[in-house]
Amino acid sequence: MFNYIIKRILSLIPVLFIVSIAIFLLIHITPGDPASIILGIDASQEQIDELRQQLGLDLPVYEQYIRWILGVFQGDFGTSYFSNEPVTTSIIEHLKPTISLAILAQIITIIIAIPLGIAAANRRGTVADQSIMGVSLLGMSIPSFLLGLFLILFFGVKLGWLPVAGYQPLEAGFFTHLKYLIMPAISLGAIQAALVARMTRTSMLEVLNTNYIKTAQAKGVKNRSIVYKHALRNAFLPILTVIGQTFGILIAGAVVTETIFNIPGIGQLIINSVERRDYAVIQGVVLFVTLSYVFINLVIDLLYGLIDPRVRLDND
Amino acid sequence: MPKQPLLEINELKTHFHTERGRVTAVDGVTFHVNEGEILGVVGESGCGKSVTSQSILRLFDEKRLAQYDGEIKLKGTNLLELSDEKMQSIRGNDIAMIFQDPLSSLNPVFTIGHQIAESILLHQNVSKKEAYEKAVEMLRLTGIPAPEKRVKEYPHELSGGMRQRVMIAIALSCEPQLLIADEPTTALDVTIQAQILDLIVEINKKLNMGVIFITHDLGVVAEICTRVVVMYLGQIVEEANVVDVFENPLHPYTRGLMKSVPQIDGDRSEKLHVIEGTVPALDNIPKGCRFATRCPFADELCVEKVPELREFKNGQKARCWHAEKIAEEDQEREDQYV
Repeated sequence: MFNYIIKRILSLIPVLFIVSIAIFLLIHITPGDPASIILGIDASQEQIDELRQQLGLDLPVYEQYIRWILGVFQGDFGTSYFSNEPVTTSIIEHLKPTISLAILAQIITIIIAIPLGIAAANRRGTVADQSIMGVSLLGMSIPSFLLGLFLILFFGVKLGWLPVAGYQPLEAGFFTHLKYLIMPAISLGAIQAALVARMTRTSMLEVLNTNYIKTAQAKGVKNRSIVYKHALRNAFLPILTVIGQTFGILIAGAVVTETIFNIPGIGQLIINSVERRDYAVIQGVVLFVTLSYVFINLVIDLLYGLIDPRVRLDND
Repeated sequence: MPKQPLLEINELKTHFHTERGRVTAVDGVTFHVNEGEILGVVGESGCGKSVTSQSILRLFDEKRLAQYDGEIKLKGTNLLELSDEKMQSIRGNDIAMIFQDPLSSLNPVFTIGHQIAESILLHQNVSKKEAYEKAVEMLRLTGIPAPEKRVKEYPHELSGGMRQRVMIAIALSCEPQLLIADEPTTALDVTIQAQILDLIVEINKKLNMGVIFITHDLGVVAEICTRVVVMYLGQIVEEANVVDVFENPLHPYTRGLMKSVPQIDGDRSEKLHVIEGTVPALDNIPKGCRFATRCPFADELCVEKVPELREFKNGQKARCWHAEKIAEEDQEREDQYV
């Protein structure tokens, strides 16, 4: 197990290396110059050149890359051109709301989707099944920003129960924190829930048709126990995969939702830094997102082993 | 008055609701199993053997999929009238079942000890520890070496033969009165087959347990069964003692099955006998005799009218208009040889 984790972490190095080159090149071939954006349109060419020199932007691209990547190896992702904050600091700062949001959205997803998926599988072909699948199709089809706007309109504006937008950190109190996050979490979670519910249904249906479920029935196992003990655990692997993927998406891609609800998360950080051509921040964030994707996948793979003894890895 | 049979099935019908309408997979099956007896159920794929056996335990979903008619009496109690809860207490306890494919019949995420103990815990009032001890004992009974070690293993760590032994251990863990074995050796290689058969016979003797042995392997039937039921397209076409079935089959289908078995001393240049055609689909059942489409003896009467299951000597039964004629012909041919 331990060896396996080490192996997985080592195999990260080439991935991150390739990703880092790709981001770096991509950013540097897109038009737009940070120096002229920082100084504004009135700046003279000399001023711009001077700033470019300060920022190291006058160096050849490969040299800039080497400087940056050496810094990364020492845990230094560079400094934002605008705020002069270390990139690591601003990632951590913006990560807090995003993580809170992702976790809440994921909890909502799981609480809604898995029981519904199981219920649909148990009642396949009935009205209940068809309505659950119908609603989930609707959930998948509604863009999260639209759902977000509807929620704001209804709960924020019409009923006034929840704040229309904004963010309060956990330090402001758990319920205040929750109050600001609940609507964005729902609008993010709805699509994921629809996906997970469908996956759960399909996976459960497949497992419920297997021979070992018949064996369990023939042993006299009660229906509840067949569904929740014998079937669910077997059906859980594909569900877990989808949950892992959606969590990755929630961390990286809540851009639109964060913008609508004005949450200072990773999404906002990306947008702002792209607008300002804040190279160091963009590179840092993308690298960080890659890292978190790979990390989530590692966790999922380890969970597989926990659920299914056939993928247990302690023998190698 | 003979004593009451262990299991008595009367006019059992199993209907399935499918997209193409209602089909009747088992159509009026009547047979019985005595205590300590091994009854063979024989037939091609798709003739309703497995459906019959799973109907006995009511394993098909009655809410949506299936509907049963008739009677299935276990020592006088009609199983078809029992509530779900009562039925659950009979499954695995009074009647146990082993399936065809041991590779997929065990739950991959639980240890085999867990799976045997689960059955014991469901039906007997014992502690977890006792149930696991019993599980080890059951594994030992089925001839698995080092059972103390094996109980902690998962199905994928065992071979096919071992897994079938585990299935048998699960089935026998509550000492059922009736064991239904649905082609338990089909997926195993020959030496393992023989071992599993021996095991089933041994336990049948030891526990005086009734066994319904479903197979398409006539060799196995000859070896272990006392009586045989031959099924074709959801119906019984012949029922007899094992000796009569082999020496004096009355139904053309049974004869066809017998002839399809290769003989070790037979002429190898001769082609093996085949029953022409395939079993018709359930939504396309012939009007008269169900076997008429494939029967070398079939005439107009067979195509038009449905034959009943008639009784002949020694209690042998056959569903054929021409059973007497066929028997006579056989007799003549034998006389010629003499």
